[in-house]
Order: sequence, then C-alpha cells, then structure tokens
Amino acid sequence: MDESIVHATGIHKTYDTGKVQVNALRGVDLSVRRGEMVAIMGPSGCGKTTMLNCLSGLDDIDAGQVTIEGVVLHDLADDERSDYRARSMGFVFQLYNLLPVLTSVENVEMPLLLSGVGAAEARRRSLEMLDHVGLADRAGHLPSELSGGQRQRVTIARALVNQPSIIWADEPTGDLDSETTAEIMELIIELNRANQQSFILVTHSEEVGAMAHRIVRMRDGEIVDDGLRAA
Amino acid sequence: MEDLFGVRMDHIMLALLAVFVPSLAVICVLAIRSRVMLKMALRNIPRRKAQTTLIVVGIMISTLIMAASFGTGDTLTFSIKKSVVDGLGTIDEFVISARAGENDQFGGAAYVPVERFTRLQQQLADVDIIDGLAAGLAETAPTVNERNSLSEGRMQIAGVDPDTLEGFGGFVLDGGGDVRVDSLGPNEIFINSAAAEDLEALPGDTLTVFVYGDPVALTVRGIVSGGGPVGTEPTLLMHLAGAQRMFGKEGYVNSIVVSNRGDAYSGADLSDEATRTLRVLFTDRQAASELKALLSQPTVIEQLGLRAGRPMVSESLQADLALLQVELAKAELSEELIALFSNEEVRAEFLEAIAATGDDALVREVNTLVVSLAEFLVIDVKRNLLETAELVGNVVTSFFILFGLFSIMVGILLIFLIFVMLAAARRSELGMARAVGAKRWHLVQMFVFEGTAYSLVSGVVGVALGLLASALIVGIINQIFAGGGSGADDFQLTRHFELRSAVVAYCLGMVITFVTVAVSAYRVSRMNIVAAIRDLPTPQETNSASALQLLARLLMSGLFLLPFRVLYLSIASLRRGLWRRSAALLFVAPLSLLAGPVVFVYTLFQLLLSPYRQGWMVVVRMVLSTMVVVAGIALILLGTQTDQVIWVRLGVTCGIVGAGLLLRSSMNVNQVRPELSDRVAYTFIGVATLVYWFIPFNIMETVFGELNGGVEMFFISGITMVAAAVCTVMFNADVLLKFLTTITARIGGLRPVLVTAVAYPMSARFRTGLTLAMFALVIFTMIVMSILTEAFSTTAEDDSSVVGGWDITARVNPSTPIADIRQAIEESPDLETSEFEAIGGFTYIPVQARQRGAKEQGWRSYAVRAADDGFLAGTETEFHLIAAGYGDTAEEVWDRLRGDSALVVVDALAVPLRTGFRGGENVPEFQLEGVYYEDESMDAIPIEVREPTTGAIIELTVIAVLDETADAFGQLGGGMIAARHQLDEVSPFPIPVTNYRIKVTEGADVAQISRNLEFTFRQNGMESNVLAELVDESVSANRAFNYLLTGFMGLGLMVGVASLGVVSLRAVVERRQQIGVLRAIGYRRNMVQLSFLLESSFVVLLGVAIGVGLGTAISYLIVREIREDVETIRFTFPWLQIVIIVAVAYLFSLLTTFLPARQASRIYPAEALRYE
Repeated sequence: MDESIVHATGIHKTYDTGKVQVNALRGVDLSVRRGEMVAIMGPSGCGKTTMLNCLSGLDDIDAGQVTIEGVVLHDLADDERSDYRARSMGFVFQLYNLLPVLTSVENVEMPLLLSGVGAAEARRRSLEMLDHVGLADRAGHLPSELSGGQRQRVTIARALVNQPSIIWADEPTGDLDSETTAEIMELIIELNRANQQSFILVTHSEEVGAMAHRIVRMRDGEIVDDGLRAA
Repeated sequence: MEDLFGVRMDHIMLALLAVFVPSLAVICVLAIRSRVMLKMALRNIPRRKAQTTLIVVGIMISTLIMAASFGTGDTLTFSIKKSVVDGLGTIDEFVISARAGENDQFGGAAYVPVERFTRLQQQLADVDIIDGLAAGLAETAPTVNERNSLSEGRMQIAGVDPDTLEGFGGFVLDGGGDVRVDSLGPNEIFINSAAAEDLEALPGDTLTVFVYGDPVALTVRGIVSGGGPVGTEPTLLMHLAGAQRMFGKEGYVNSIVVSNRGDAYSGADLSDEATRTLRVLFTDRQAASELKALLSQPTVIEQLGLRAGRPMVSESLQADLALLQVELAKAELSEELIALFSNEEVRAEFLEAIAATGDDALVREVNTLVVSLAEFLVIDVKRNLLETAELVGNVVTSFFILFGLFSIMVGILLIFLIFVMLAAARRSELGMARAVGAKRWHLVQMFVFEGTAYSLVSGVVGVALGLLASALIVGIINQIFAGGGSGADDFQLTRHFELRSAVVAYCLGMVITFVTVAVSAYRVSRMNIVAAIRDLPTPQETNSASALQLLARLLMSGLFLLPFRVLYLSIASLRRGLWRRSAALLFVAPLSLLAGPVVFVYTLFQLLLSPYRQGWMVVVRMVLSTMVVVAGIALILLGTQTDQVIWVRLGVTCGIVGAGLLLRSSMNVNQVRPELSDRVAYTFIGVATLVYWFIPFNIMETVFGELNGGVEMFFISGITMVAAAVCTVMFNADVLLKFLTTITARIGGLRPVLVTAVAYPMSARFRTGLTLAMFALVIFTMIVMSILTEAFSTTAEDDSSVVGGWDITARVNPSTPIADIRQAIEESPDLETSEFEAIGGFTYIPVQARQRGAKEQGWRSYAVRAADDGFLAGTETEFHLIAAGYGDTAEEVWDRLRGDSALVVVDALAVPLRTGFRGGENVPEFQLEGVYYEDESMDAIPIEVREPTTGAIIELTVIAVLDETADAFGQLGGGMIAARHQLDEVSPFPIPVTNYRIKVTEGADVAQISRNLEFTFRQNGMESNVLAELVDESVSANRAFNYLLTGFMGLGLMVGVASLGVVSLRAVVERRQQIGVLRAIGYRRNMVQLSFLLESSFVVLLGVAIGVGLGTAISYLIVREIREDVETIRFTFPWLQIVIIVAVAYLFSLLTTFLPARQASRIYPAEALRYE
C-alpha cells in the first residue's frame, strides 16, 4: 500500500510577468509519506516556495497533478480547497504572518473557528496549544508585544491546533537567531514525533535540513535530488 | 455676484491669488530643485489608479461645493438682472408726482398735466446724461378676449406718445419689423407677448377692456416684443391720446420715464448723477429754504454731528453728513444742500436728528416740509433692482456655502485622512529615504508635491462638477418656481457662471487643500526611521528636548514670532553660503505670520494630547489644561456680557475639555495606566460635552440669563456633539468589541469573519475615528434638515390658524371694484348665496409708520389692511400677544377692533425676535420697539401712521400681535389690520375693497365656487384662489427647497463614501499578506469579501447611529424651543426619508467597499504571501 500522503507528478508552474515568462517549476515529481519530515532546499529562486505553494494548494498549477490523502487538490473548487486547508493543513511562514490586530490566542483559534468549532471549545483548545508551545502566559498579547521566537511559536500553535495531517513551513526559522532556531526545530521535531504529522519545510539552512528525515534539493525549477534515504 | 459674506469678490479673488500663485511658484521652484522628491511624488500617482480616482473625488469636494454655490448665486444675480433689463429696456428712472390730485384714484399713479411734462422736457433739454424723457399713461384694467373668453384681471394699459419715445428704442413685432404707435387706427392696439400668451390672442382679435367697469372694444393689430415701455407683464400698447380718451384723462399723464445715456445696462451707471440732477430740479426751493432754517438750529447741528460719529456709519454717509453741516452753515441755499435734502439716506438721518432733539413741534414741522419738498419723486428703479439682484445672488451664495460648510469640513477631514494613510502605506519607503539621507523637509516636500498634483487636477474637476451641480440646483429651483406657491411662475433662471467665481472656487479649494496637505505632511515627516523601515509601532518620544522645542514653538507662534525664526534661519543659511535657501526662507518669512495661528493650535494639541508622561512635562500639561479651563471661563463671561449663546456654549465646552485633560494629567502623576487614564479622561470629555449640549435652551437661560444665537449654532453644535460622540465611542471601542463578539459567538460560521471585521477598524483608531466622524457629521446634518423640514410643514396643517378660517382669497382690480359683493352674488346665476357663510373685505394701503416714544423716530414703510365689518367678524386668526386690558381671547380683540377704528393689530413680522434673527422678503421696514415676539405679555403701543401722498397722520394703538402662522406665515400678505372707517377719512381717494376672504358652508365645493367667482367677476378683474391649495403649494415649495438643501448637504455623503473607498483600498494593499495567511489557514474567498464589507458596515452603521441619534435629539430640542412661539409645530420623525438617507449612505458605502473587497478575495494566497 502506498503510504504517501502527498503525491505530486509532473508539476509545471510558469509566472507571466507581462514582459518575461519564468518557468518556476518544470515537471516536478514528489511524494511525502505520512509522518515524514521533508526539507526542501536549494539556492534562491530555484522554486522551493513555489513548489510548497503549489503542493499545498495556495497557488494554481499549469500542468501535473497533486494528490493529498487521495484527494486531487486542484480538482477542488476554491472554497473546497479553503475548507480542506482549514481542516487538514497547517502553515508556518517566515515571520509577520500572524494577524497583527488579534491576540495570540485569537490568532491560534482562527483555524478552529473556520472549521466550525464552537467559540468556547476553540478557546479551550487554543489555550491548551499555546501551553503546549510554552506561551500560555502570552495568550492575551498582540504579536507586536512578542519576540521573534515567541511569534513563531504562536504560528506553530496555530498550524497545529486543528491537528492537521500535513504542516507546510516556509523558512520557519529564516528570521531567527541560532539559539531560537534550535528551540523551534526541537519543538517541530517533538510534535512530529508525538503526532505523526507530516512536515514539509522549505529552508536555506543546512542545520535545519539535517534535522529532517529527507532533504529534497532543487535547482532551476527541477528536483535534482529527492533524498530518498532512511530517516 | 459681487460680495461674499460682505467682502467684495474682487478682493477675495485677489487675496486668494496672492496666496495661491506665490505658493504654487514656491512649490514649482522646490520641485525643480528637488527632482528626486518630485519623481517619488509623481510616480506614486499612477501606481494605484482606483485610489488616485478616489483621492481626486475626495479632494475636489470643497471646490465642488463652492463652485456650485457660486454658480447658483451667479445664475440668480444674472437672471434677476436680465429680467430687470428685459423688463425696463432703456428706462432707468421713473418720475412720479409726489402730490395726489383730484384726478387720482386709489391704486394708480398720480396724474400731472401734459403742460407740466412739456416744461420738464425744456428743463432737461440741456442735461446731456439724459437721452430720453417720455410721458405716458399707465393704468390697469380687466380685459377679456372675446374670441375665447379668456381674461386677465390686471392687464396693463400703456398709452405712449410716439413723439417723446426718442432714446427708448422703437417697438418690434414678434415676427420682426419695426412699428410705430401712430400707425394704429382708432381702437387699435398692440399687445405684448405676455398678454398674447395669457389671452391666447392673435392679431385681429377683439379685446374688451373694462374701464372703471365700462366695456371698451379694442382690436389687436399686432404682437410686439416686451421690454421698455411695453414691459414684461401682460400689456396693451396704444397711442397716448387714445388712452387718455379711454380713461377720461385728456391733457394728463401719469407715467414719466427717463432714459440715461448709454444702453440698457450702462445707463444704470449714470443713475446716481441723473437722479441727483432730477431731484434738485424737482425740489421746491421755498420749502427747501424753510427746511434749511429749521435744520440750522444748534441743537439739530449737534445731533447731526453725533449721528455722523456713530459706529457702523458708512464712509459715504459720514461724508454726506459732514457736507450737510457745512452747507447748512452757509447763508444761501446751495444746489448741494438741495441735493442732500433729496437724498433719502441723508433725509432719514436728519429726521432722526430732529427726533432726538425731543422738540415735538419741530418734528412735525420738518415732517410736513419734507412731504412738500419735492414736486416729483424720482425712483432710480433700474439701479435699485440691479442692486437687489446683486443682494439676492450674494445671500443665496452665502446660504449655500453656509449649508455646505459641513461637507467642506468633511472634505478637509478626508484630505487629512488620505495623506495620513498614504504616509502609513509608504512608511517603510519613507523610512528608507530618511535612512539614506532625506531630511524631514524633503518628506514634507514630497507630500506637498503629490498633494499639489492631486489638487491641481481635482480643482478643475471640482469646478466643472460644481458647475454641473449648480445647473442641477437651478433646474430644481426652476421646477419649484414653476410649481407655484412663490408667485413667481413666470420667472425662470438662466444658467450663468462668472469666470471670477470659477477662479475663487478653484483657488479656495486649492488653498484649503494646501493647508491640509502641509499640516498632514508635517505630521508624517516626524517618524522614527528604524520603526518605519521595520514597520514596527512608533516608539513613544520621551526626549525632553523635543518637549522643549514644542514649548518654544508654542510661544513663538502664539506671540507671532515665527517670521523672526524664519528670518534667523535665512541669515544662518546665508552665513553657510546657502544663498538660494536663504532667499527662499526670506520669501516665506512674511507668509509664516499667516501660519502662526495654525501652528499654535496644532502645537497646543500636540502638547496637550502628546504621550509625554514623565517629569516636568506633566506639570506643563497641567498648566496648559488649566489655561484651557480659564479660557473657557473667559468665554462664558464674554457670552453673558454680550448675550451670545455661542460663547457660553464654547466656554463651557472648553471648561469640560480642560477639566478632562487635568484629570488625565493627575492620573498620570499617580501612575495610573495610560490606557485607563486616556479612557477615563476622554470618556469624561465626550459624555460631559454631550450631556451639556443636550441641556435644553430654556434651562441654559435660567443659569446664564437670556441668550441670543443664530444659524451658526447649528454648525457649532453639530461639529461639537459629533466630535464628543466619536471621542466617547473610540475610547470605549473595546467594550463595544467585546459586546459584539459575545453576541456573535452564537453565530458559528460568522464568528471568524466578525472577529477580524471588528478588530481591524478598532486597531486603527485614528483612521476609523476620522471616517466615523465624517459619516456621523453628514448623517447628522441630513437628519436635522429632514426632521425640521417635516416639522415646519406640520405648522401649516392646522388650516384654521394659518388661513384664519377662510376658504377662498380673491382680489379685484382697484380700478374696477365691486360695489356690493353680496348683492352681486345674489344676482349672479352662477353663484348660490346659501353656499357663502361669510365674506370679508379689506384693502391694502401702503403707509409709513412710527412708534411714539420709541428710539426710532423715522417713518418706516408698512401696510394697513383696512378691513370691513365682515372681515373682522368672520376671521378666526389667532393672536400671539394681547395687550393688557384688551381681552383674553381672539374674538374679544376682533370685537374691540370693530368698535374702535383707532385700534390696530400688527402681524408677527413687525415684532422683533429676541434672537435678532428675522429675515425674509415679507419682513416690513417698520418694527415695534419694547416688545419681543417671545414675550408672555405686552402693553398697548401708541403709533402714528402717515398717508404718504397727502402726509396726513393718524394716531393708532396696537393692541395685539397676530400669530406667526397667520396668513400662511405672512405669505398671503401682511400689515396691520384696522377697521376701515377712520382710514377712509384720511385717504385722498375713496378706498375701494380690493381683497376678499370668503368662507363657504360645510360641504360646498370650494374649488368650483372659486372658479365661479372668478367668472362672475371677470369684469372686475377678479383673481380667486382656494386658500388650502395656496398653502399646500407654499408648503410644497418650501419642502422642495429644503429637500434641495438636504441634497446639497448630502454632497458630504459623497465624501464619506469616497473616504470608505480609500480606506478599503488601502486596507486591501496593507493587508495583502495577512489576507494570504487567512486564505492559507482556511478563509474562503467570500469570507475575505464579507470581512471587508462587515468592516465598512461597522464604521458606516456606527456613524449612522451617531448621526441619527444626535440629529434626532437636537432636532427634538429645536422643535421644542420653536414650539414656545409657534404652537402648531410638531416633532415628526420622517421615517421614510430617514430610511432612504440611511439606505443610500449604506448602499453606496457597500458599493464602494465591494470592489476592493472583491479584489482582495481574488488574490491567490501564494501571491498574497509573496507580497511585501
């Protein structure tokens, strides 16, 4: 039985800026197994973030097919894709991706509310999640009142609060110092181990990549090494 | 239009150009010198086209409102002038006999022998400024077209002498071709177009004219164009000899007209000189010599000196009075003195001076002499009418600008908001520019360049749209006129716009924008570079040096020392070799004097509201707050001294603000959290101000004594109350937020959307507060206008008080009165006597009046309604005040009048208001003293009334004041009412009954009876109308005009809607990345859209709630206050209209937000996340 949770074949993506066309992805194939932590690495402009966006359904693709948990993602209507993301995916971005007008707990509970969880239950689970990432005492703070590491913890809490099967992380430690990076990665590894959730990370950092089960290397919109090695 | 708020438009234009042109020149020089900043500014403009469009719309609103106001004023001025010139042609002055003779009749001009006119021609033969003098006969008579039975009750009959018409132009047939009156055969006439239209007459038709009741058949020879001797009213034109024969006035004329040198327009410029020449010529030298002797007495000369020295006396009148004293001192009677005697303004002054001597005998002697002073009266009719045209245009423009002030205010707020948001949007790039060496001044320049570019374009668009708006307003006014009720059915406005008005509107709009942009640019430039680049919140400034700078700036601007500071900087630049900068500063130095008050107020606000919370700054703030309280007390004292409510209201408000700020400072000293101290202080200020402004006026008066206020209070109260409400709401928004989220917690699906929809506006309080204030202000004004319009239309609902219980009003031609109307009705086959319950008759007699023992002793124009017994017994008109001892009920007063013809009642418009605000065309010159309309009681007031043609004086006693609602608020006619017998005795002519009021029996068909009356008495020229219909038309016209004003004020709504559009567009850009995050974590497209729409709804509905709430409350208070004087007024909430206003405001806001919201929802999450 195929254990792949994410299965992408022949993905093409071209950006048309009006003056030039950029082939960001040129026939990418990738599979990720359930519970696997995959790091996507490569030089700037090689298409790492584009691949993450296309695979997670944040962006459209020009050709190919992405299947997640047996669902062909790009066959879904936009609203269905939104619902699917709310239910089954979590996202962690580099920085500043918390809603600045909402407090930590309000940011965390947003996916739950979007999935139709009741307000009281959402609040309870969000506080639990914040506690889990060590930020119970910062629940009422606005993002501007938190440090970079704390903000990223809130982002991770938000990504995990709905217990999604896949977490997409784009440069989750890109803006953090080495000590905080280590803390955040420890947290991610612990959560991955505890919950058997799949993590797909885009990173520049070799240290971060080394902590993943597998490193996928890209260049010029193609996968040059899918890193199929044992975790 | 020549004046605006009493200032010459030429001066306004020059002053504005003097500010605008140098400012633009300075900006151009700066732009050439700072090309990089210019590029940065200009390249921002096409980046976001939709936003640029909305900015242009927002900025142009002030220009639009002013251009629309000026356009309407210009159109009115031009149209009235045109109608004056069309009507008078080359006629500039009328000359009428000042003495009534045995030939004369009531209602007609006095006759003079033709020989006297011939002598006059000889006397004026050498006067070169007069190029035409014509004599004629002017009468009115009922006329019927025999072909179709159409009639005209007041047909003008003009008999002209073709030999004297030189200088007046000839007569032109409608189809073209000159004609002469001497070409007419016996019983042939020309008619003008107005007569042809009314009677649907054609050449060859026979018209029957009823001359004193006798029919005369005349044949229409042709139709001539109106104007000049032909006039614009329905007129029959015939040879003078024929007219004289027809009216039995052989050898007499009663109309002498003068044409000055020049054409129809330029002739009026010589009016002063021509009038003076004619008046000197017509003055009786014997009477003038006697008058000179009386006025030369030392006591009179002394009084004349005192009058000349009074404040508010115009320079020209001062010069005339000085000359009068000099000429009186001379031994002989000079031409100059005669001219001064015949000058009405000077005459009023010396009559007042005589009255002030307290010598009653002298007063009577002088008054008698004044009456016999001139043989003819010279009326400079064209110049007077042209001046009236100017006045009407000026008043209307000022009126529209006043009512547009709210929208202009809202427009200024929008400009400020736009630039604050532009700055927020470009914060990091501005920070970057600062980091690489740009100075604050450069950032100010950049925004000023951008603002100037927007303003230059939007000014042009504003003027163009303003013209369109004025065309629309003019169209609506024409409709209102056409709808009736105004009595000006034929008067139509012709669209006209002066270039000068366009320049003034454009420059005013530009100057307002310049100032607002400069202030907001200055605010923007004061940023923290690091915070800006990293897009972090601005840290609080705690640097005491900045605080000291603020204090220094406050002192400098307060003491008008800014020019010295700029001068110092100029010298410093020169010493550093920066001569161009030095020269520029030198140039700006005098202008900085003008900026002083703006800088002072801005700095004071900065100091009072700044986040300095440490050390001695708290003490400074406490001192300043105390000064605000002291200023408030000073204003209250000023208000109680001058009895002006505006100062008291502002004073108490200042006191509340100062107390709130003191409270805040003292909490800061005691280490209270800043959020809490701000909330407590500003909530206190907001709530206390609201409570205070809601205190009813009468309670205010029990504390501060009687206070007066005008229309300006509407604007002041609106702005203050809206500001207070917005302040209260914004500083307690979190409570509102909690409340809303608690409620919506139950609506599962909506909750995540609501959370963000409410959180975003509350996180940008300044922006939200400004938008909220704009909406609240606009809705407030519209609600108040709507409710008051509705309330005023309820005053006419009680017909019996408005029309005195009568059903029909009718008037007949004075030359063909009805001998006995009751008998005539009995004899008429078309009228049923049993259907007439009561018939009252009266006659309007123009008189002059003065109050005995009053300060004002000059004769003032007024009218007497000499009423017969039928009228006094049948009227149900109510009284507002009844003099002690003359009864308690209206019936008793009317009975007293019937029994004693020395008693009169006056209309409400002859009694002043305590507020001093009594305006309108129906207000008579004569005003009672010692009694106010608001009073609870009055004493009988002795007055004297003079018949102007004979000078006969009778003494009367005013025993009551009619209710303000009587005669449909004076629109059906005003004047005092007296029993007619005593007036009959003093009139030189028999006084016929000219006006009738008729009451029909219950169930009778009023409209049919009115039509039958008109038909039956067509030979008497009767015009009959159903009173209820007239009142309805009048109410409808007033209502339509108020709707027009409401609509005009609704222009501000456009600004509010545009502001929401700008805010939404900005939000989409600012939150692009956040939208990406939301979409990534599961927000659907429609949720993004809904979130934006809910956000706008939150602001709009909150603004609407504040506007509707405050507007309703203040209107209720206003109606309650008015009710004390006008008992029939009722507070009515016009649901439909208000629902429409709210719905339009909401729908347009949603529509403007919809596009950006849709745009936001269409962004791909990945694309949004990439955006920086």
